Amino acid sequence: MTGKLSGVSNQRVQHRPAQSAREHLLFSCLLALLLPACVHAQTGTTKPVEPHGPSHQDQKLGEIQVQQTDLLQKTPAANWVSYNGDYSGKRFSSLREITPENASHVTAQWVFHPHTVSPLEVTPLVVAGVMFVTSANDAYALDARTGKVLWHHTYPISSGLVDDAAQHHNRGVGILGTSIYMETDNAHLLCLDARSGSLIWDVPYANGNRNYGATSAPLVVKDEILVGTSGGDDGVRGFLAAFDAKTGKEKWRFWTIPGPGERGHESWPSDLYLHGGGTTWMPGTYDPELNTLYWGTGNPAPDYDGSVRPGDDLYTSCLLALDPDTGRLKWYFQFSPHDLYDYDAVQTPVVVDANFKGIEHKMIVTANRNGFLYILDRTNGRFLFAKQFAIEQNWAKGIDPNGRPISAGLTPDENGVSVCPANGGATNWYSSSFDPLTHRFYFRSYEACAVFRAKTESFEEGHAFYSTGAEVVPQTGHSYINAFDLDNLDFSWRDPLIGSYKGWGGVMSTETGLIAYGDDALNFVIADGRTGKPLWHFNVGQLVHASPMSYAIDGKQYFAIAAGSDVFSFALP
Amino acid sequence: MLRWRSAFPTTLCSTLILGACPLPSTAQSNQGAQRFVEYCAACHGADARGGDKGPSLLSPVSVAASDDDLIRVIHDGTSQGMPPFAQIGNTNIAAVIHYLRVLQGTAAGSTGSESSIPGNPAAGQDLFFGKARCFTCHMMQGQGGFIAGGLTNYGRNRTPQAVLHAILSPDDPLIHSSRVVNVTTSAGQRITGVLRNEDAFGIDVQTEDGRFHMLPMSDVSDIQHTDHSLMPSDYATRLTSKQLNDIVSFLIVSARDSNKSTRQGN
Repeated sequence: MTGKLSGVSNQRVQHRPAQSAREHLLFSCLLALLLPACVHAQTGTTKPVEPHGPSHQDQKLGEIQVQQTDLLQKTPAANWVSYNGDYSGKRFSSLREITPENASHVTAQWVFHPHTVSPLEVTPLVVAGVMFVTSANDAYALDARTGKVLWHHTYPISSGLVDDAAQHHNRGVGILGTSIYMETDNAHLLCLDARSGSLIWDVPYANGNRNYGATSAPLVVKDEILVGTSGGDDGVRGFLAAFDAKTGKEKWRFWTIPGPGERGHESWPSDLYLHGGGTTWMPGTYDPELNTLYWGTGNPAPDYDGSVRPGDDLYTSCLLALDPDTGRLKWYFQFSPHDLYDYDAVQTPVVVDANFKGIEHKMIVTANRNGFLYILDRTNGRFLFAKQFAIEQNWAKGIDPNGRPISAGLTPDENGVSVCPANGGATNWYSSSFDPLTHRFYFRSYEACAVFRAKTESFEEGHAFYSTGAEVVPQTGHSYINAFDLDNLDFSWRDPLIGSYKGWGGVMSTETGLIAYGDDALNFVIADGRTGKPLWHFNVGQLVHASPMSYAIDGKQYFAIAAGSDVFSFALP
Repeated sequence: MLRWRSAFPTTLCSTLILGACPLPSTAQSNQGAQRFVEYCAACHGADARGGDKGPSLLSPVSVAASDDDLIRVIHDGTSQGMPPFAQIGNTNIAAVIHYLRVLQGTAAGSTGSESSIPGNPAAGQDLFFGKARCFTCHMMQGQGGFIAGGLTNYGRNRTPQAVLHAILSPDDPLIHSSRVVNVTTSAGQRITGVLRNEDAFGIDVQTEDGRFHMLPMSDVSDIQHTDHSLMPSDYATRLTSKQLNDIVSFLIVSARDSNKSTRQGN
């Protein structure tokens, strides 16, 4: 190994191979005539689609090229190519190396400390042994075997933001071809070259209200990039927007708060529709066969003062079914009409094909922040089933046959009213998981009540728009990991998490029957999905505020999780 | 082929091309650049824009800090974890600060005004994407290659002198992650590419096709580190002074425009 050379003769010896290497590399660069990387991204679309088979078998380690076949894989294996691993949102890995029998031998492999923001909320993506993570507005490519940085793209954090965006949370990237896509805290969509981190384009996509921000990971569908915003508690007007993957040009935008003349506008007097919330701050899911996007919307704004927004407040706290080519609304299902308790409906709408009461159904399964688990027919939005999972729940007397909650009439006022679940919800954005082999749906839940107060206020840019507040009732607050069995429509098991923290760790499952999650005591845990019994844990020393994923390199399976200000990777020795 | 910097001293070249621009402290700046790479770049990045372990030194706070403040921080370290560097001596500390001021665009003699732009940016753009072939390796505003660093924002906070120096003497200083290496694997495969990461236990090399070769040391039989990056070192003979100034102007002016377009909005 040589550093800077001082001797002339020595320098000549070293230069010969070096110069030829330089010329060789430059020549190849010229041959390639290097078009923008996003143009390369398009070449993938011309390949035949094989959604069922293991795709990209000939992909070499370190060679980043994500094709439509990779995005359409039914279950992730070595690569994890989108926020939830695949379009269904089931966050289920087909890797089989780590099993209930050997899980106790898992050990830490590496820690990556991006040094920007805490807590990290990113789910890493892995392609061909290269991991992509974000921390605030920065993106990194890592050697997924060692955690060492291959490149780092910096982008300054924004000042003057409010609420969630002001904390610069970011949940990761989307990938297509040789490009990655990420949102910035101030709602810009960036396209970066996945091989260098170089910026290809930067499109600001939420203007006119500086309370807009972004914290999600983009979803790549066909040749478009789907993004939403944060700011639903801060008086922005929610939307989902699609941008051309190659050019960054906007293709369509669906406003979640109807404008003048549109259905549902009657809930939004005067210009309140411009501040009605309903933001799309988590990635949705996608069914390629039905050509339908499923995307949850957040709470209405102002959060607690419903007197100014009469009616159901469409399309807040809803699941939207949208045509990805046009943004046309196919159907919607509203979980919490006229929500008064901050019950966003952005929890992953998991695409499940399974037997329901004796008949094969194309379903959406989702555990909602309002305390109920729902099963819907995803071909038409028809309500099939609901089950209360929040042990303490008093805002609804039940769910009627059409899936509409029967209100208990608890209206926040200046004196305050105690409501369960609390404003943080009976579950939240942390991932759920569906195991298609056992038909178990795993998710984290949280038991708490809060006193909600309301007072009519005016929207003001630069300030949140809760119209007063909610305070969690002391002595409540317990987390559970739940396994809901879709075959008998009841819980297989529910395990309370021991610990003094309120965890925000999502759940994933694997083909060998394992589940993995961050608990309420700063541990990352691998457990047996059949019983919930923990098999292994590692004290990451920080609260897990993110959802796990799994990947493989040369057949070796890893679990990765962001915790606090670090990303951890684990594997068998 | 003679390498440019062995034919002419950098100071002479800069003065010739930029005309009567005085650079009284270029020697100090070069010393500062070397010391900066040696002591600071591992944490703060070779361009001081921040790295894995240290914050950007181009922030308003760092720019506003007085030289005395910076001397104190470098000399004593910080409670946030930066170690003290008193051992490098006052001369080196002063040189590092001088170089940092160049990177910050606040060094004496450096200005960001239109009048200080030495050439024609439009002609520079034609050269960048044409005769000079910069685009084959560098990405600029979405167009170009990936094997070298993106230049969209490169000219921001950089002086024309610093940009010119980087073009004419690309390996002074040589950035660790740009170094060309020749690796032979245990299986006998030879890999020539750019060093992206290396420690005692493994090496990450990126080849011209964009592929990352991520090798544990147990799979490596030999590593030859060259003393250069991929960037050609003969631009002084390939391009005229005017053409070089045009490219410098293109990099600085377009970064300024990029600054305007990407940071607007909310």
